Formats: sequence, structure tokens, C-alpha cells
Amino acid sequence: MTNLLPLIRNECTKIIKKKRFYVILLILLVLVPMFTYAQMRIAERSRDKFNSDWRLEIQQRITDNQNSLSSDRIPEEWKSYRRIFIQQLQYYLDHDVNPNEPSGVTFTREFLDNSVSLFIPLLIMAVASDLVSGERTTGTIKMLLTRPVRRWKVLFSKMAALLMFVSLIVLSVFVISYLISGLAFGYKGFNIPVFTGFQLSGDTVDMSGVHSVPQWKYLLMQGGLIWFVSVVVALLAFMVSVLVRSTAASIVVMMAALIAGTILTNMAAAWSTAKYLFMVNLGLTGYLAGTPAPIEGMTLPFSLAVLSVWGLAAIIISFAVFTKRDILN
Amino acid sequence: MKDAKWTWRSVSLISVAATLLLIVGFVYAVGDIINPQGEALTGSLPQETAAPVPAAAGEVKILALGDSLAKGTGDNSGSGFVRRTLDGLTKDGGQAQLLGNMGINGLTTAGLQTKLKEEGVQYALRQASVVLVSIGGNDLFRGSDILGNGIGGEAGPAGADQTPAADAEGSTNAVEPGGVLDGKPSALVTSTPKPNEDELTPEALLAALPDAAKRLGEILETIAGINPEAQVYYVGLYNPFGDIEDLLVPGNQAVTAWNSAAMDIINTHSNMTLVPTFDLFNRHLDKYLSSDHFHPNGDGYQRISERIVQAIR
Repeated sequence: MTNLLPLIRNECTKIIKKKRFYVILLILLVLVPMFTYAQMRIAERSRDKFNSDWRLEIQQRITDNQNSLSSDRIPEEWKSYRRIFIQQLQYYLDHDVNPNEPSGVTFTREFLDNSVSLFIPLLIMAVASDLVSGERTTGTIKMLLTRPVRRWKVLFSKMAALLMFVSLIVLSVFVISYLISGLAFGYKGFNIPVFTGFQLSGDTVDMSGVHSVPQWKYLLMQGGLIWFVSVVVALLAFMVSVLVRSTAASIVVMMAALIAGTILTNMAAAWSTAKYLFMVNLGLTGYLAGTPAPIEGMTLPFSLAVLSVWGLAAIIISFAVFTKRDILN
Repeated sequence: MKDAKWTWRSVSLISVAATLLLIVGFVYAVGDIINPQGEALTGSLPQETAAPVPAAAGEVKILALGDSLAKGTGDNSGSGFVRRTLDGLTKDGGQAQLLGNMGINGLTTAGLQTKLKEEGVQYALRQASVVLVSIGGNDLFRGSDILGNGIGGEAGPAGADQTPAADAEGSTNAVEPGGVLDGKPSALVTSTPKPNEDELTPEALLAALPDAAKRLGEILETIAGINPEAQVYYVGLYNPFGDIEDLLVPGNQAVTAWNSAAMDIINTHSNMTLVPTFDLFNRHLDKYLSSDHFHPNGDGYQRISERIVQAIR
């Protein structure tokens, strides 16, 4: 136990020295202003159209969605999604709360919602994918393993360092998007009420559990869910980097899986066993916002269970393989 | 070396703190989603009601309510009579603004009644100075069995689904009447059964009339109750089946009966106007109806909007 902490420290220093984390920060610093600008244009346009009256805008959105319900060409799943959406908008309207009150906090909330299933996992991968395979590519793994330290400790220290950076990444996504969008929308808005607790059953929304939470609390809950997703993605990417020799291959494998996930969530409604795949279950924040799950039968406990099983399997496989395998080059 | 030590300390401290915070958030979120505590919404919600900007003097604020005609189905440019009216009013430098178009395909009088109970619609109504209403066509022409479906529940005349086929076949007599109504060959209709030709008898057309007319009265009453100041323009019906020989006379009778019933109601309110459209389309159906043989096309909507502009001015 005594020599674990120096090992973890060593791994952290390596991650920092490799400057991966700075790359992530740089990506955020470039992309978030772009999203902010896009959002600003949307806000401006709707201000022009609806004379800055959000109630009219929401009502028009409700009407537009109701109209699309009557089209025969729209698939039934989309219709039920829209019916749910209409009921939620109606709820906001009835309680005189603007769901999109422009503020830096609201932007952050929506940004996190949109990035949970692809963007943040990609950032995580940037750190996780070369933790082990990178050492093999450069050959430094031999140096590491010739030390009088047991292999599982080496791997464990890498995993611990990875999890530390997962938290840092989630935190920095939040901080950067808040700071940058605040420039455009203002830094207030932590106390704006957000409704959560929409219970979906088929087409209808059970409103009995709906309650308002201040936005800061909502962000905290969102952060927690995103953290869980990120940990599972990190563990899987870690496993791949143990299994695959080259970093490029390990990144490609994970990217393919994640992108397949976004494609599947858009079209997998008919293939219900797809819900056991981890990449379909990444959108945990949807349960908070009350958006219908991509495949029927998915609930938060279900998604958590699926993700946990995948995460645990990744840990077991990583350790089993890493401690047994011969390192040849 | 000292620098490295400092980095390690801050990284480890921040990451451990962040992890703990996120775990707290996670536990909280799971608890909240699995077991949501509904609360009686009290008045504690902040009233962020931005006071609506007072209307500039002379500015017309238009709100459209009703069925697919209000929405503009059949107009290839998507404008419908609502946008065209707006354009007509602003063309000579007049000030007009569209608050919203709440037209919904397939809406019936019963559906509009439900819709008028919605807070958002009432809010928009209170802001409006001109309300354009188009309703009743679906009650009259599409059988009373649809009424139970509520708002937009059934497939509308499917303006979005206009098939070029209906156009290409040209002569209406060649097309099966059921197909004409849906705007596409009936073989392709896979959704819920729709009223077919058999139900479009004079009796069926007139059967729906008394109830629907009563609801129209209630609707106009409600609108006047919500915003007594607003000018209401009700768009009268035309007979879309004038080019089908068997339906010309009964259709005309039913539409005339409906329009005169509407006129009776509207005449009792001082700030309501019926904008007739029957004469605009009669005998000109091929020119002013879109390819679904039910909704007006762009030119048809243009003619309606010219009437409305004249009525508003």
C-alpha cells in the first residue's frame, strides 16, 4: 500500500507531461465559443421573430409539434417523443417558467446535455486511450515492469490517475463553458427553476412527480451522471488500450464504438436488444430532463446496471490480461 | 522539482474534491430520478414575467387560430393566408406583426375549444389586436367520427403529403373520390380509416352542422371573453367539392348553411367580421385549389388574404 501513492503520482505527472490535458482544455477553449456564438444567433433570431416574448415562442413550438403529429410520414417513435415534448413545454408554460431563459448557466446545462453521449467521452478518450498502449508504442513499458513493483499495482496506479483526470475533465468542461458563455449571456441564473421528475409511460407524462429544482442543483445532478458515464467510458478505453498494441488502433476502436452508439440511438428503436450495449446507454442526463430513452424499456436503473456491468468487465479484463500477458516487442 | 510537487498537490487536491462533489451529485441525481418527490407548486416560483412591450399605436398584432387553412396547408410557399395578410398589411408601409400561427392540420371546432383552454393560447390572444379564425371545414367535410380524436389526432388532409400523382392524373373523375380527399391514391392510405365518399352525403354534411355551429358560437364567445378589444375575422367556408358532380349541390347547400349559421353568430358581436370565400372559389376550383383538391393553393390563399386585408383596413 505504501508504494501505491508514489506510483499514482508518477502516472499523473506522466499525463501532465504528455500535455494531453492541455489539449483537452484547448479544444474546449476553441469549441465552446463557437457553440456560444451559435446559441447567441439563435437567441437573437427568436428575439426578432417573437418580440422577445418567450411565451409566444413556446406556444408556437407547441403548435408546430402538434402539426407534425398529424403527418403520416413521421415514425411513431418520433411522434411519441413529440407528444412528450409538448406536454413538458405545456407544463413550463402553465407554470410561467421560461425553460430557455438565456444565461450562462442555462447554456452550460444544455451544453452538458448535448455533450454527454459523444463530446465528453471523446475528451476522456484523449487521455485514456494511450495510457498503456502508449507505453508499448514507445517501449517504456519494459522500464516500468522491470521495477520491483507488482504488475497489478502498476495498472492500478494508471487507473487511479485516469479516474482523477476524468473528474478534472468533467469539472473543466463545466467551468470553461460557464465562463465563456457567461461573457455572452451573463453569469447569473443559478437560481432559475428547472423542472425535473417527468415520469414517462408510453406517450403520456406523469406529472405527479414533477418538482422544480434550482439550476445549480440540477447542474450538480447532471455533473454526477456525466461523471458516471465518463468513468465507464474511461474504463472501457483503458481496457482497449491494454488489449491493443498501438494507440491509434485503440483510439479508433473506441471512437467507432461511440459513434456507432449515436447512430444506433437514432435508429435502434426497433432492435430492442441493442439496449444492452454500453454506447446506447450513455445519455443518462436524458432521464433527468425527462426526454424519452432511445429504446423502450430503458430506465435509469437499467442504464446504470448496463454501464456498471460493462465497466466492471473492463476492469476485470484489463487486470487479467495485463498481469498475465508476456510483454514482447 | 518544487514546481512538480506543487502541480501534483493541486492536481490531486482538485481532482479528489471534484470527484467527491460529482459523486454527491450522482447519488442525489439517482435518488431524485428513481424516487421523485412531487411538490405542490407554490407561488415561490420567481415571476419572471417580462411585461409585454406595449403596442405601438396603429400596429396590428395578428394571431391566427384554427385548422389547416390557417396553417397554410397547400400553399407551396408555406405562407398561407396569414403571412399573405401580413404582407398585404405591411406592403404600403403599414405596421403589422405576427404574434403566432396556431393553426393545426385537421383541427375541428371541438379541438379548438380544447386549445382555447391552454394558457399559452390565451396569453397570445390577450396580446393580439387582430385574430384570424378559420375553423369548421373539418367538422363539415370529414364526418363526425373524427371529433373524438381531439387535437390533431387524426391525419389531416395531409397537405405535406401531396403526391404529384394527384396532379398528373388531371381529370378528377379519373381519380377515385376517396383518393381525392386524401390527396394520394387510396391504396397508399395505411393509417386509420378515414371517412370515404359514402359519408359525404347531403345528410351527413348537414348532420354535423348544428353541433359544430353551436361550438363555433362558443369559440367566438370565448375569444371575445379573453380579449374583448381584439377584432376577430372569421374566414368563411368554400365548397372544395364543386368539381365533383354529385357533390356540387349538397356541398354548396351545406357550406351555405354553415356560412349563414356563422353569420348569425358573428352579427351579434360588434367587433367580429365574416370574411366570405365561397364566391372566390366557386367555379374556379381548378385554378385556386392545390393538388389535394381540398386546400387552396398559393393563389387561392392570396385571394383570401386580399379579402382579409380589405376587411381589416
